[in-house]
Amino acid sequence: MKKTTDLKKAFFARGRVPDCPIYDLHGHMGPSYGLHINRETAAQADTVLKRVGIRLLVFCHHAALMAPDIGNAANIKAVRAFPDRLRAYCGINPNYPDQVKKDVATFDRYTDVYVGFKLLADYHAIPITDPRNEPAWALAEARALPVLLHTWGNSVYDGQTVIRKVAERYTQAKILLGHSCHSCWDEAIQLVKDFPNVYLELCAVMDERGILERFVGELGSERIIFGTDYPWFSHHYYIGTVLGAVISDDDCRNIFYRNAEKILGGVFNAKSLTAK
Amino acid sequence: MKPTFFDANLCFGRPIRTVYQPAKTAADLQRVMAHAGIAKGLVWHVAQRDYAASDGNRLLAKALAGRKNMYGCWVILPPQTDEIITPDFFRRMQRNRIMALRAFPDYHRYLLNRVVFGKFLDEVTERRIPLLLSLEKSSVTWPVVYQILAEFPNLTCILCDIGIWNSDRFTWPLLETYPNVFLETSLLSLEDGGIEETVARYGAERLLFGSNFPERYPEGAMLAIQHAAIPTADKKKIASANLEGLIQGAQL
Repeated sequence: MKKTTDLKKAFFARGRVPDCPIYDLHGHMGPSYGLHINRETAAQADTVLKRVGIRLLVFCHHAALMAPDIGNAANIKAVRAFPDRLRAYCGINPNYPDQVKKDVATFDRYTDVYVGFKLLADYHAIPITDPRNEPAWALAEARALPVLLHTWGNSVYDGQTVIRKVAERYTQAKILLGHSCHSCWDEAIQLVKDFPNVYLELCAVMDERGILERFVGELGSERIIFGTDYPWFSHHYYIGTVLGAVISDDDCRNIFYRNAEKILGGVFNAKSLTAK
Repeated sequence: MKPTFFDANLCFGRPIRTVYQPAKTAADLQRVMAHAGIAKGLVWHVAQRDYAASDGNRLLAKALAGRKNMYGCWVILPPQTDEIITPDFFRRMQRNRIMALRAFPDYHRYLLNRVVFGKFLDEVTERRIPLLLSLEKSSVTWPVVYQILAEFPNLTCILCDIGIWNSDRFTWPLLETYPNVFLETSLLSLEDGGIEETVARYGAERLLFGSNFPERYPEGAMLAIQHAAIPTADKKKIASANLEGLIQGAQL
């Protein structure tokens, strides 16, 4: 057990700590087929983020990933309504390659909205290595943009084998492993050791006590980022789990905001956000 | 305001498959609780599930002796086999600070229904002894929960580990229909807005704090309740008062 730390005490006392902002780099928005979402809208998200002290939520609207007839318009509308705390990943569904090409071609029209791309390969049932994803990867590679991948251990679509292939192919894009190749923790650690542009994201990782301690013990905390799948999951719950892990306050700060600021630094100045 | 936490979902002992730093003994668990800021616990020993309910129940009872901030849950099996449920069952519960029951019907290979548990669960209902059912720990599935509550509608039933994905579509109809159904919050607090929305619809009285240690970090569920957007009085109810009431109300 670690000693109760200043940061833990401060979060428990006040719920938010002004000198320790939180960047959630794995969020969503809107309703979803398999569960009741309590807070679906951007307005509700903005209220929650403000209350909890989240400086920035980077999300991809469920519609952009699951409803091609709505698509990325939902991302654009949400960010433009609440630009102080929201940015989006441009959602890529390679089942619709023409739409992928169009979304990538118009990416620059929405520099106020997008920070990178999101792939949900397990759901789309197309591997992250598939050529239909190439336009997004090519732009991410050229601009060193973040690409948030849903990743799950042993998946043929987004497991460790195909992650390794894209990491070998794209050395400049910032590859964020959503769920950290869940359950294949040793493989996730090895990917970070082998590729300087690969990062581990904590959503669902914190379901299992001890994994974060393993990550930090083997890798340090500079390549680990905070994410929640909001609005699926609660920010306070996830903040509490990171604070409960046997890691230092310095590690927590890296995870909560320092690493995200570096990742986003090439895209926009996150510190310039005016929201309090 | 930091509420006093009374944890409805704590487990100790070394499981058949390893978990990260489990509390091997009740004393270890007390140290974990003290570190996290959990004042009291309703606990069980993992051998009750993994090895044998009979020996596991005995291990638990022995481990709880003299530990005033812990109460136990005994695991039940069908009364017909005489492995657990004997004529002096409730008296033995009282003697050993066992204030609630748990059941693992799938893992222990029986059916949790009126055919098997009719008279016994009628008495459990009458005595207001809580039955804890976990939706994650090889315990029960939602159809089993719905069946047992249809057959014993006044049973005091605490649903634990209610699922990683938001379970409102399963739990809200039960809260609406059965007044003695309660939700343990280790995974409800994982859901964004889970605590707030359930309190708004069904009242704070229906929720009981739980951490699901050792699988989960207690601090996640604790921070989510301590800073939920609900009145302080409701936080106190969820954190400890509701479970205190159920324990005091059980007639052994």
